[in-house]
Amino acid sequence: MFRKNPHNAVVLGLKYNIFCLIFTMLWLLFLPVSVSAHNVTVFAWVDGDTIHTRSKFSGGKRVKNAPILVYDFKDVLLLEGKTDEKGMFSFKIPQKTALKIVLKASMGHLAVWKLRAEELGEAESKTAVQPTGIKAPLAIDSGSTGIQKNVDVFESTKISLERREIEEIIDASLDKKLQPITQMLADAMNQEPGFTDIMGGIGYILGIVGIALYFANRKKT
Amino acid sequence: MEKFFQKNTKSNFKQLIQKHSYYFKAMHISEGILSPAVLIGGAAFAAAGVAIGLKNLEQKEIPTVGILSAAFFVASLIHVPAGPVSAHLILNGLVGLILGWKAFPAILVGLALQALLFQFGGMTTLGVNTLNMALPAVICYHIFKNGLKAGMGKHTVIICAFATGFFSVLLSGIMVGLSLYLTGEAFLPAAKLVVAAHLPVMFIEGILTTTCILFLKKVRPEILEGDHVS
Repeated sequence: MFRKNPHNAVVLGLKYNIFCLIFTMLWLLFLPVSVSAHNVTVFAWVDGDTIHTRSKFSGGKRVKNAPILVYDFKDVLLLEGKTDEKGMFSFKIPQKTALKIVLKASMGHLAVWKLRAEELGEAESKTAVQPTGIKAPLAIDSGSTGIQKNVDVFESTKISLERREIEEIIDASLDKKLQPITQMLADAMNQEPGFTDIMGGIGYILGIVGIALYFANRKKT
Repeated sequence: MEKFFQKNTKSNFKQLIQKHSYYFKAMHISEGILSPAVLIGGAAFAAAGVAIGLKNLEQKEIPTVGILSAAFFVASLIHVPAGPVSAHLILNGLVGLILGWKAFPAILVGLALQALLFQFGGMTTLGVNTLNMALPAVICYHIFKNGLKAGMGKHTVIICAFATGFFSVLLSGIMVGLSLYLTGEAFLPAAKLVVAAHLPVMFIEGILTTTCILFLKKVRPEILEGDHVS
């Protein structure tokens, strides 16, 4: 077909060219939309026996007066609340199982944050253990005389903490506290290429084809 | 706590494997491995190849190049479980067999997008990676293209297509080994690792290339005739 009728080929090429350009433009139009759509996120962390949540739009704007629903792992609604002016909402731990915190922002936006059971469990056990552990380092850190005094105080209970031991305790509790965060970071780092990446790449190639055809066509005419 | 440390060391180990499997996880060489001389040399050769490819490029071939570039881009997502490490499809044989020298620009675009979007390879190694994958494709194209011309028996076509898919991956593996060797690694172990990890890929690519070529011969034989391919 191409060889028999060169005019036809040019017309066909032009049609393809226009199609590609339109496709590229549509792609460029859609891409920023999907990125800047007000993505909401809810982030929850455990502090002692309360859970704090902070809700944000993708641009960093706080989500105000939005309902927050807390479910357990069987999707049973445990409690409900609303974010304040700062996008914060805090509540006591209802039960020590895995929790699902759902934020319902306006216009059908929804964000979910899952808290694992061990995060809650550890927080709970820490609050029970902490008092004996933490009092000592706080007092001792002030200086060598402080250590002396505190050792005297604790001598009756036969607890003497060396600096190294204190460091070990702090390290251990820090590790526990940071574990979910490090895991989160690890999860975020090890992401496989997603659908957006694949379609984006194919879109780029189609766009390049379109541009190449455009210039090739312009040279001809 | 013990659990955490166990987990931690395990994930460290995993990271270590991932970090050091750069040359046998894929043909993509990551950034910060090759010496500047190899990077620049590879980029220069790749640029020459791309120039030759673009010089031969005619307007009506542009869509074909684009489609094969897209196929190359997506193929890297198809993992082939190969023992301890997973390699993925490359498809450079198919790209080369259909495009000839134009495989250079097609593979360059595909690799650039893989580096940007998937973090496969990197921008500084783009030249070397392009050369490593496109040059074997072009070599195989020149060796086997005559077997695909009209009038050839079906067996010849099948053998040539399979050989193209097989040998372009093999040659790519050898070239990756060569790049590492020029940077100071022992050539044989490096090349052996890459080639061994890609053995299943070679067979799969051979079969895939054959299937595609047979299909194209039925549907669009003019693509393979080489009348619009230099």
